[in-house]
Amino acid sequence: MARLLSIFVLLVFVLHVASESTGEVVEQINGEEFTEELLFRPLPDRKVLSHFHFESKVPPTNSYGHHHRLFPKAIYQLVHKYRIREMELSFTQGRWNYESWGGFDPVSSSNAKPPGVELWAVFDVSADQVDASWKNLTHTLSGLFCASINFLESSTTYSAPDWSFRPLSSNLRYGSLPREAVCTENLTPWLKLLPCRDKSGLSSLMDRPSIYRGFYHSQRLHLTSGEFDPMASDHGIVLEQTLTVVLQPDALETRGRKLQPNWSMSSLFGKTVDGKCALAKSSNVYVQLEGSLVHNMKDEGDEGLESNLNFEFSISPDRIMKEVNSFHREHSSILYGFSIKDHHSKPFDLGFKWNLPVTWSCVKAPLRVSRFLMGSGNERGAIALSLQSTEWSQSLPKVDHNEEKCRLKVDVFQVVPWYIKVYYHTAKVYVDGVPQSFGDAIEKLSVSPSEDKVSPGVMEMSLKLPCDLKSASLTLEFDKGFLHIDEYPPDANQGFDIPSAIISYPDFQTCMQYKQDNASIKSPMVSKMQEKRKILSYTEVLLVPLTTPDFSMPYNVITITCTVFALYFGSLMNALRRRVGEEERLLKEKDKKSGKLPSLFSKLSAKLRGKPWDPPSSSSSSKFISSKTAALVNILILNCLGVNVMNLIEKAASILGKKLERTKFVKMLFGTDFEN
Amino acid sequence: MSFFLLIFLFRTVKRLGIPDERIILMLADDMACNSRNKYPAQVFNNENHRLNLYGDNVEVDYRGYEVTVENFLRVLTGRHENVVPRSKRLLSDEGSHILLYMTGHRGDEFLKFQDSDELQSHDLADAVKQMKEKRRFKELLIMVDTCQAATLFSQLHSPGVLAIGSSMKGENLYSHHLDSDVGVSVVDRFTFYTLAFFERVNMYDNASLINLFGSFNPNLLLSTAYYRTDLYQQELEKVCHL
Repeated sequence: MARLLSIFVLLVFVLHVASESTGEVVEQINGEEFTEELLFRPLPDRKVLSHFHFESKVPPTNSYGHHHRLFPKAIYQLVHKYRIREMELSFTQGRWNYESWGGFDPVSSSNAKPPGVELWAVFDVSADQVDASWKNLTHTLSGLFCASINFLESSTTYSAPDWSFRPLSSNLRYGSLPREAVCTENLTPWLKLLPCRDKSGLSSLMDRPSIYRGFYHSQRLHLTSGEFDPMASDHGIVLEQTLTVVLQPDALETRGRKLQPNWSMSSLFGKTVDGKCALAKSSNVYVQLEGSLVHNMKDEGDEGLESNLNFEFSISPDRIMKEVNSFHREHSSILYGFSIKDHHSKPFDLGFKWNLPVTWSCVKAPLRVSRFLMGSGNERGAIALSLQSTEWSQSLPKVDHNEEKCRLKVDVFQVVPWYIKVYYHTAKVYVDGVPQSFGDAIEKLSVSPSEDKVSPGVMEMSLKLPCDLKSASLTLEFDKGFLHIDEYPPDANQGFDIPSAIISYPDFQTCMQYKQDNASIKSPMVSKMQEKRKILSYTEVLLVPLTTPDFSMPYNVITITCTVFALYFGSLMNALRRRVGEEERLLKEKDKKSGKLPSLFSKLSAKLRGKPWDPPSSSSSSKFISSKTAALVNILILNCLGVNVMNLIEKAASILGKKLERTKFVKMLFGTDFEN
Repeated sequence: MSFFLLIFLFRTVKRLGIPDERIILMLADDMACNSRNKYPAQVFNNENHRLNLYGDNVEVDYRGYEVTVENFLRVLTGRHENVVPRSKRLLSDEGSHILLYMTGHRGDEFLKFQDSDELQSHDLADAVKQMKEKRRFKELLIMVDTCQAATLFSQLHSPGVLAIGSSMKGENLYSHHLDSDVGVSVVDRFTFYTLAFFERVNMYDNASLINLFGSFNPNLLLSTAYYRTDLYQQELEKVCHL
């Protein structure tokens, strides 16, 4: 019996080994990889950053072929059709708060994006075909992502930065649409690229009302391809999809206790994770605590990483990674990792609870940047870029090792639409309020001025500022141009946007090296953090009011000119065509027929002539003639007066008639106007 | 308000089994995620806020400044630039049954786009005529849900077209009720009763258009629903919805 049992155990073991090895083989043949990760980070202003990171990889077509199991076909076709080497598309709502959410760490410098849509792409085509590829790409993406990205097709909206956006970038095109709305319809196609969509895995957390309620929302798609690069033949295509949301946890429990708000997946998103996406190679959740937070806690709590009095997790972390070799930072951050298994006995709902109050601040970018408009009126103005030192730049050494004055290099990349005519010769740089000479402050400058209705104005500038500066500013004057009436958008009175400028610090690189206790678990998100990358920050979008025509003006002009013409021609016709004498005669005849005076007059004349008078109609006029003498006197007076009065009345009537006619005409004209 | 109506109809059409790929949705406003919307990414049909019309899987094909008379006529007539993706085209043929639903602000014989452009009844009639000549539809049902809706159909003369308008010339269209929480009128009477009719039917029902017409009660609508059937050869009793 025991022998039988041992054989059985052996059999089970062999089976187990076999299944494991076949699993590995499948993975090797497969080559495609999909991983899902989610990073939470408490923010100093009582908010929580949630950062979803999905990565799909496909090996090169040469070795792997055209058929894919996980990798989205739409993206594969896009890469091949337009020969894309690298591309990034982001949809953002809200503004990243560089002050309190940080501006130096890898997550913020690669996921803080300008509002609206930003797209840049590097093509592997000859230089003369880049624009055509770009145009086709914008249309394809607009169809794919339900957005008006096709507005970036026009040469007035995109630019080709030389060196300030990315070093050594040829065949790169950059464009952004600051006013593009971001909503569910943009997320739907983005989720369709994931193998599990939002049906299972971490993406099932994405409850639309919760994520769009956030303070900041950025949905990003980054694509790198080595398909057309003979040097990187083993690279394939890597599709990185991230969604960064800053949410406010419900702080009801901790209100008034000075504690940071507690949060959990279910309180942030209203949902929990049932299990990992079955197609994902790994599915991990991380909680990152920043260096200064760890430092501040250490002062109060105990030293151990795993047990901490300050906070507790609802699920104990599977691994803890400590940042090593933190560059520029005295304190190292900690990353707590949680793995999601295929099937949990209960839904995975990570919670984070604070036990002791703690305050900290994020690591900021070397300078605090803001951009604003100066001047008033609809004719001219100026763009000002203000750079203020942060506590971080104050800690820089004042003097280099070579006893030279320490310099802080700042790259500025700014695209301005053509109707804002920037005079680049008016560029002025002030350091601590003192104007600087051009050569002193500006190391490198390349400008391509705008061309009306053809291309935007692009400015790439490399500033070198003293390290001990308090503030610096850059101003540029501009004139406001005029658009053609057809070029105004329907809501032109709202103003026109100048896209965000990009500020980067070429001397600094951000990266977070984590010592992983388990090297076998490779996390694409953690390795992304370990990559050295440039620190970028985006400025505000500027809203410039332009002279906007009154669009009802053509109608008003037509109406008033028509009125004036009608009045002129009407009176001219009256003067030319009407014969007043003739009308008087006609009126007289009319009056003779019907009036009393003419009949009396004719009676009198008949009597004078001694003829019998026959009245034209039965009238009561006979009563008037009581005595012949009285009648005679009466009639004579009346006759004398009558002619005059009649003339007068007639004249008055003709004048009045004309007037009446005229007012009637005007009334009719205006009447129709008002009815319109 | 037109936004609500479009979304409402979009949801109904989808619920009745028409996939997203066959719907071209043109939305000029971004109301769902506008910061003035108290309920982000949600649009409700009713003040009880139970049904989120915007849903989780909405796809909008033309939005914002793209919604122009030019693009609308291009979609109808199929005259696009080569680069325009398939999702923005009406890929129909002579066997297609098309529902064209329009809502917005309008007056006598015109419909406003973006509050600046106008689509006139002649433009619509010409586009439909061109569609007929290019064999882009077999049957076309035009629903217009605006004030003075019936006037937009006056120039139509192509066979195979059925037109339903929510009001006659000189009539206004009234909203059904105001949602004081959101601060806007959420649905108008014509759409409310049309969709109430559609909510009652499911994918397998044999309800015909005559049932729909019969369901309109002028006393409830506060306007007279108008249908133009003279261009349509089939008997309405036999026409199943969509």
